Amino acid sequence: MRRRIVLLLWSCLCAAGASLHAQDFKIFDRQVQIHGFASQGFIYTGDNNWLTMHTSQGSGAFTDFGANASMQVTDNFRVGAQVYDHNIGNLGEWHPILDWAFADYRFKPWFGIRGGKVKTVIGLYNDTQDYEFLNTFALLPQSVYPLDMHDANIAHMGGDVYGSIPLGRRSGTLLYTVYGGERFDNYYGGYPYALRKSVVPINLTSNGGPQYGADLRWQTPIPGLLAGISRMNQQDDGKGTFVPFWNPSVGQTAYWESTRHYWLNQYYGQYSKGRLHLDSEYRRNYIDAVGFNGTSPVQFDVRGWYVSGSYRVARRLQVGSYYSHYTMTAHYEGILGMVEPSRTDTSRPENHIYDKVVSARIDLNRFWNVKVEGHFMDGYGDGPYPDGFYPGDNPTGFKPNTNALVVRTGLNF
Amino acid sequence: MKSLKAPLVAATLLLLAPLHVLAGEVKIVASPSVRADSITVAELKSVFLEKTRSLSDGSHVEPVLAKSGSAHEVFLDRYMGKSDDELQTYYRTLVFTGTGAMPKFLASDLDIVHYVAKTKGAIGYVDIDVPVEGVKVLAIVQAGTNGGRRLLTRIEPEYPETLQRLQIGGTVRLVVTISPKGSVNDVQVVGGIPSSGKPPPRR
Repeated sequence: MRRRIVLLLWSCLCAAGASLHAQDFKIFDRQVQIHGFASQGFIYTGDNNWLTMHTSQGSGAFTDFGANASMQVTDNFRVGAQVYDHNIGNLGEWHPILDWAFADYRFKPWFGIRGGKVKTVIGLYNDTQDYEFLNTFALLPQSVYPLDMHDANIAHMGGDVYGSIPLGRRSGTLLYTVYGGERFDNYYGGYPYALRKSVVPINLTSNGGPQYGADLRWQTPIPGLLAGISRMNQQDDGKGTFVPFWNPSVGQTAYWESTRHYWLNQYYGQYSKGRLHLDSEYRRNYIDAVGFNGTSPVQFDVRGWYVSGSYRVARRLQVGSYYSHYTMTAHYEGILGMVEPSRTDTSRPENHIYDKVVSARIDLNRFWNVKVEGHFMDGYGDGPYPDGFYPGDNPTGFKPNTNALVVRTGLNF
Repeated sequence: MKSLKAPLVAATLLLLAPLHVLAGEVKIVASPSVRADSITVAELKSVFLEKTRSLSDGSHVEPVLAKSGSAHEVFLDRYMGKSDDELQTYYRTLVFTGTGAMPKFLASDLDIVHYVAKTKGAIGYVDIDVPVEGVKVLAIVQAGTNGGRRLLTRIEPEYPETLQRLQIGGTVRLVVTISPKGSVNDVQVVGGIPSSGKPPPRR
């Protein structure tokens, strides 16, 4: 039934593609704008199933869509909300979520506040990673913006303080965001999925906790050049059920895990001039946690970076390429450490993914695009930290390299 | 006799920051509800990037843009520092993160003028030659100016030695055309009454 609804929606959007525009109407003499988007993708991989899809046979289980409504109540006060739904392989599974919903008051250009469910500003694209129409690429570099870990950092329930501070004509502008709140994984997200599919399956029914951080970016006096830094701190407490591997006879029992330290640093730069656009980012995610009901301390050190470039060849054609570099090390102690060796050698394919990507984006009109993209991946990083390749989806084991063809089309209005 | 033109032009040379109402090939048009007669480049950018919805005088403003055209290209290049693609991406980012609205885009300069004339707070841009009935044209000025004018360069005039020796003085009337960048494009002597009672010779 959901598939028929999606197909009908797609048919209507495609038929109306040439005349898409935002819808608006008035409430109490205030304009309300309605916007929406949808995308459909297809992935084929030569070896290894990727991103929880059966990509080795070709998979079209790669759909998402959303819609929002917003209103400028006064010159300084804005409210809005967006709903989002997706099905990507075994993630999302058509469970709609409230993507964001907040009230925003801007006292001055240098000081504003917003509260509610707010997209989290980290790096260049964290808060916009779901909107494929904003980028050249069908998939953002997975080393920094993993599709399957979409829930981990994308939004928080809380508040932001933000603003832009001009430094003078020759010094550019500083833009800052400071945020705090809570963030919880979606049950249909990558981390709970990875735990359900692990060698010792864990049914994690809740995971998350307080989150706070900041982003500072500098629009330099050189036109088109931007640099920035982000920091995020998180406390994750997870609860669920599992069968203890050290005593399976007890059957399903309560499970908990908790982070002792969980932080993320991200450094980024961007340069645009004319038709050329360059991005580069580095992210380090460090997690020090205790799992399996306090029996097993673990530390994950996940590092990713990429360099990307795109060029608008013609009015409707953009080409791009990026190199994405991901490594993960893990250290296990306690009961888990007795059965699982630590992972420290990032040269091994199970501990890294190096991805070379070439892409082309065709804008059929202002609202509709098609992308064709090739990925050439070295490694599969099948560690406990989700990174796109899941042992449960690859029961016969992993091949060291994966080539993928990604085709994706998207509409927005 | 040395020409009076150069020193007197120099004496009146207050190189103004762009106060001319016509900004290159585009002019900024605003609803009559907007109280200001001028807008700084920084304010203009801030309005069109939706960082503010009011001017420094408190006037409510909301931007309206052209879908395409030469005025659109000049405006983006001169005041926004973004290409059309970049601007569209910027607005969509605002819309889909909830931090801003998609501004109005209209097909032609005349559509913009008509819309601005009837919409409170609307501010847009049109080609310099487009008739602007019903709207006001805002001067674009540099930020930090006093009354919209800022001295950029001052040249101390040299009084002609002969006239000084003969104690001859007077008034010369000039028409000076100043470019938007503040340079003097043309000077025409249109009259004057030196102390002898005769007008100075025309060059």
